[in-house]
Amino acid sequence: MPITLETRQVTKMFGGLTAVDSVDLVIAEQSIASIIGPNGAGKTTLFNCISGFYKPEKGQVLFMGTPIQGLATDAIAHLGMSRTYQNIRLFSNMTAMENILVGQYPHLKNGWMDAILRHKRYNREETASIAEAKRLLDFVDLTNLGDNLARNLPYGAQRRLEIARALANKPKLLLLDEPTAGMNPQETDEMTTFIQNLRDQLGMTILLIEHDMRVVMGISQQITVLDYGVKIAEGTPKEIQSNPRVIEAYLGPGAAQLSERFRKQKRHLHENA
Amino acid sequence: MSNSIRNGIRAGSTFAVIIIFLELIGFTVIGSTLIGKVLGNAPQSGAMPPVINLVIFLGLLGLWNGANAAKPDPRGQTFSQALTAGVAAGAFCGLWVAIYALIMGYIQSLGIDLRVYLSAISPESNALSLFGLPGTSAALAHLGLQTGMGALGALLALGLRSGLWRRTAGSGWASTRRGVSGVVAQVRRFPYAVYVMYGLLAIIMIAAPHAWGSYWNYITGTVGIYVIMGLGLNIITGLAGQLVLGYVAFFAIGAYSVALLTAPQPQNIRMDFWPALLIGIVLAGLTGVLLGLPILRLRGDYLAIVTLGFGEIIRIMLRSDLLTPLTAGPHGVRDIGQPALFGMSLSSDVNFLYLILLAMVLAIFITNRLQNSRTGRAWVAIREDEVAAKASGINVFQSKLLALAIGAAFAGLGGVLFASRNQFTGPEDHALMVSINVLALVIVGGMGSLPGIILGAFALKGLPEILRELENYRLMVFGALLVVMMILRPEGLWPASRPRLEKKDRSAPPVREEEPAPMDAEGVKNANHS
Repeated sequence: MPITLETRQVTKMFGGLTAVDSVDLVIAEQSIASIIGPNGAGKTTLFNCISGFYKPEKGQVLFMGTPIQGLATDAIAHLGMSRTYQNIRLFSNMTAMENILVGQYPHLKNGWMDAILRHKRYNREETASIAEAKRLLDFVDLTNLGDNLARNLPYGAQRRLEIARALANKPKLLLLDEPTAGMNPQETDEMTTFIQNLRDQLGMTILLIEHDMRVVMGISQQITVLDYGVKIAEGTPKEIQSNPRVIEAYLGPGAAQLSERFRKQKRHLHENA
Repeated sequence: MSNSIRNGIRAGSTFAVIIIFLELIGFTVIGSTLIGKVLGNAPQSGAMPPVINLVIFLGLLGLWNGANAAKPDPRGQTFSQALTAGVAAGAFCGLWVAIYALIMGYIQSLGIDLRVYLSAISPESNALSLFGLPGTSAALAHLGLQTGMGALGALLALGLRSGLWRRTAGSGWASTRRGVSGVVAQVRRFPYAVYVMYGLLAIIMIAAPHAWGSYWNYITGTVGIYVIMGLGLNIITGLAGQLVLGYVAFFAIGAYSVALLTAPQPQNIRMDFWPALLIGIVLAGLTGVLLGLPILRLRGDYLAIVTLGFGEIIRIMLRSDLLTPLTAGPHGVRDIGQPALFGMSLSSDVNFLYLILLAMVLAIFITNRLQNSRTGRAWVAIREDEVAAKASGINVFQSKLLALAIGAAFAGLGGVLFASRNQFTGPEDHALMVSINVLALVIVGGMGSLPGIILGAFALKGLPEILRELENYRLMVFGALLVVMMILRPEGLWPASRPRLEKKDRSAPPVREEEPAPMDAEGVKNANHS
């Protein structure tokens, strides 16, 4: 299976602190992969290394086979990588439509001279991009809300709009940083289905950071666990759930044995019943 | 009851400070002169206005004082409470002003000329502020006037249920704006109506300069030049969000380009106006790029300070001995060339105004087309969130550079027109005040809003010309206007609106803009994420 994203020994340091320590990651095309880990584990830092906000001190980031570490964020976006943010970062004083139009930026050709002259090609491209933006609005279920300022939209709509803006770039890889943060269970379920549809209908590769274990275990093919910047486990949801190091990272030392004992007791009870 | 008295005393004392301050800087004389203009008894220049005008002026202030003091309590307020507050405010204000009058009367009786210390206070103006009476009677008159007016103001405020006027004025202005926009939108439905509208506008612009006379043509020309510059700075600051305080530098480069290329002194190149115009615009734009290359990575305050320095450096360099052989130094350049078309000179005030108006229309046209294009959206995206803009594939540095270059070119155009119209330019034409003026008109008009800029240019460049008496107080009026603006219309006279792209023909906005944002996007946006 072709590989969309690969990181090799990526290391990012802030002063003396190693936020991401020699992380290897391989993400296959058209898969959904998750990165989990306790707070401060370096998940978002790793995201920032991949999307070009940070330049890793060591290691390589390969996107569709080409090394991209050290490239500018906008250049990486042009290659077909989009992302969303843990704290929503919309262009709040622009309308929802405009946000999506900005997202299409890498695919549009019109320069400032074209804008002043407004020749045929300019108008054709502008009309097409507006139609595409409307289509994306429909896709994320924001029909008729396109002319509202982004800051006036409700929270869930803002999250969806942010994803629509990322999709406007027609990305091959979509990085989602906590897409269900702050959502109620019903909204979370909707978002989970939505992410699955992205993969199934648009053939996208998706890498997400997520704290909601129901979401993570439900949709990921592959889960990577970080703790203190180090990759401590990797595998399918099943493998991760029973991995003692993961349990310890989340619940503290000794928790693994406790959990094992609890499981045995439960099995015991079950057998007795 | 005691509460209203206390409030009244506080409000009255504040007002007394304001009145005494206005007396000390001589503004009361100016105010009375302005009232004279309305009443038709304006004095000749230099002479003092009649006492009655000052009484009216102070009386109006007193009314305001009383109305202000009697501002109704949200918990409800009785007639007597409001009256008490008004009277207390008036009496206290009057008391302080009376003490001021007593002191002034005493000083005057000693025969001391205060002009040595306070340039605005001459014996004549002092006599005026004493109503032409001896000190004690003047003090009593002030006290009486202020108390009476305070009471009257309180009653007025109660009658109007104070606070209402502000809302009424605010919504009146808003509905005017909506009405204008609505008419424009309605007219736009009919394809030919647009041409008719533009035609009417063109006829007005062609006919008006002939009708106005040279004084008004000069003022309109100045406003036009400032509209061009405002539009340029609007691209940099309003759209791309980069605070540039040295905008005058580009203006100076445009002005000096045309000056040095066409004037007989000090270079004697004597080029034609039109190529010099082009060179001025291009040079200003290039300077924008060159300046932007090192500094556009700075953000916010740092950028503002560096550009502020750049603006001043240009002016100081023009004054310096070093460049005197090149630029004629502090004397400036005179006899700057004027435009001619097919052998016909365009130097008359009417023709030159046509040229300025044409340039203004061109600037409006370009800005209008740029601001809602892919380029313009990229600029606004950078203003809104630079990080997210970068991650959306926008080359932030190049976009900012482009904004600075285009904005600078606009300033260059303004400078060329300014220098050529005045046929003179010197270092003092390019002081910091120009930058501040342009920035102020952008802010007052409404950042990023095209009609706002035009309105702002009229408000800040046109009005002071109309109210010539206020010339010396322009800075103070600026300050006051900005403060009032920030309180009443924080987004500018004509706030920017975003285009409707999803449904083009909807007349009412789907969600009111005043509605609070569902979450604190600003706070969260800046938060550091781990």
